Amino acid sequence: MLGGIIRGKKVTLRTPREEDLSFINGLTADMRVRREGHVWDEPATAATWKDRLKSAAKDQGIVVWIVEAEGRAVGIVRIRAGQEDPRHADIEELTIDPAAWGRGFGSDAAVALHRYLFDYLDKRVCAIELAADNTRALRIAEKIGYAEFGRGHRVYFRDGAYADQVWLRFDRATWDERWAATEREYAPFPEGIER
Amino acid sequence: MLGPRLEGRNGVELRPPRLEDVQAQFEWVAQPEVTRFWSPRHGEWTHEKAEERFKRFVEGEDAINWAIAYEGEAVGLTGIFDIDWIRRDGESGLFIGRHDLYGRGIASEAVRLRTRFAWSHLRLHRVHNWIALQNRGSRRANEKAGYEQIGLYKGYAYRSGHWLDDWMGEVFPERVFTRTERPDTLSGPEEGGAESVPRDHSSEAFLPRPSGAQVPKTRGRKLHK
Repeated sequence: MLGGIIRGKKVTLRTPREEDLSFINGLTADMRVRREGHVWDEPATAATWKDRLKSAAKDQGIVVWIVEAEGRAVGIVRIRAGQEDPRHADIEELTIDPAAWGRGFGSDAAVALHRYLFDYLDKRVCAIELAADNTRALRIAEKIGYAEFGRGHRVYFRDGAYADQVWLRFDRATWDERWAATEREYAPFPEGIER
Repeated sequence: MLGPRLEGRNGVELRPPRLEDVQAQFEWVAQPEVTRFWSPRHGEWTHEKAEERFKRFVEGEDAINWAIAYEGEAVGLTGIFDIDWIRRDGESGLFIGRHDLYGRGIASEAVRLRTRFAWSHLRLHRVHNWIALQNRGSRRANEKAGYEQIGLYKGYAYRSGHWLDDWMGEVFPERVFTRTERPDTLSGPEEGGAESVPRDHSSEAFLPRPSGAQVPKTRGRKLHK
C-alpha cells in the first residue's frame, strides 16, 4: 500500500509517485546506502521500478512513503505489518539520501512515523534491525525509544567482512512516556463537543 | 528450489515436496493442535492457492523446500527461506503437521539433516530462525543441531490469556559439522583446524551421525516454531 501524508517538523512523509522512481533507483545504487543493508531492491530500469511500485501498492502487508524536505524527495520509508499480531509493525527501511545527511531529517521522519504508528494506528510495538556499526541509525533509534532485544552475529557482509546485526523494539508504553504529551496527530477535542 | 532426498535416522527423511504435500499442509494448519504457536488458522486454502504455492516452491531461487517423511509418509514441511546468497544467510522453518507423531524426534532429525545440508551443499555461512519460547520440542530440536539463542522477543502472539515469546536463534553450520561429523570432512579439526572443508561431494554426506558422536554443546537456554 502507499502511505498518505504524515507531517513532521522538517520533513513530510507522502505518497510515492512515478516521478520519484529515479530518486529511489539512485538511492538503491548508492554504496553509502547499500552498506547499511536495507535497500528496497536492486537498481533497475524505470519500467521495473514502475512494476515494483505497483506491486507495493497492491501488497496489503506493507506501506511505502517518500520523505520530502524543502520541496524535494530526500528519503524513503517502508513498514510491514506483523503477521501474528496486526498491532506489531516492522520498520523495513527509513533511508535518507546521503546528500541530506546531518540535517536532522532522519530523526524528524522517525518521530513523525512513530507518532502515526502509535497515536493514529494504535500499534502496540514496532521493531527494526540494524547493522551494529550503523551508529547514525542506532543513535536515532535509541533516542526515540528503541531498546535492543537481540543480536545476530556476522550477518551483514560488505567491504569484504561481516558485521553484526542488532534487533531493537519500541513499545507503546515507552512512546506514551516519552512522546505522547507532545506528539499527537490531532489536538484534543474541545470540552463539550459531544453534547 | 526443491531440496534433494536426504535419508536420515529412525525412519525420517527429507525429500522434494510434491503438490499433494502442499495441499496436505492446508489441512494440517487448519488444526488447533498444530497452530498453537503460529498461523492465524485461516487462509485462502484452495486448490489454486496450493498450485501457486507449489510453483513458488519450485521456481523460487532464494529458498529450498523439503517435505518431511516419516516411515515413507509425508508428515510436515521444512526449508530455508529468504536466502541471501551474498551474505550466505537464510531463515529456517519447520512444522510437523501430524500432531499424533509429536515427541518421536522427527523434527530433531529433520533439523539435523537440513542444517548439515546448509553447509555441506549450499555452503551457507549462517542460518537463523524464530521459535516460540514455549514450544520446547521445536526449540530443543534446533538446539541439538547447534542453534544458539541470540535474543528474545517478548509478546509476539496471544493465545488463551498468555503472550507467547519468540526465541531468536542462529547456527553457523560449518562450525557444527566440521567439528562433530567426521565422515563429512576432508580432515578433522585437529588436522585441518578451523579451516577444514566438508567433503561436499561425498556419497556419505547424509549418512547418520556415527554412534557415540556428541552433539555440540550450546550456551544458555534456547528455543522454534
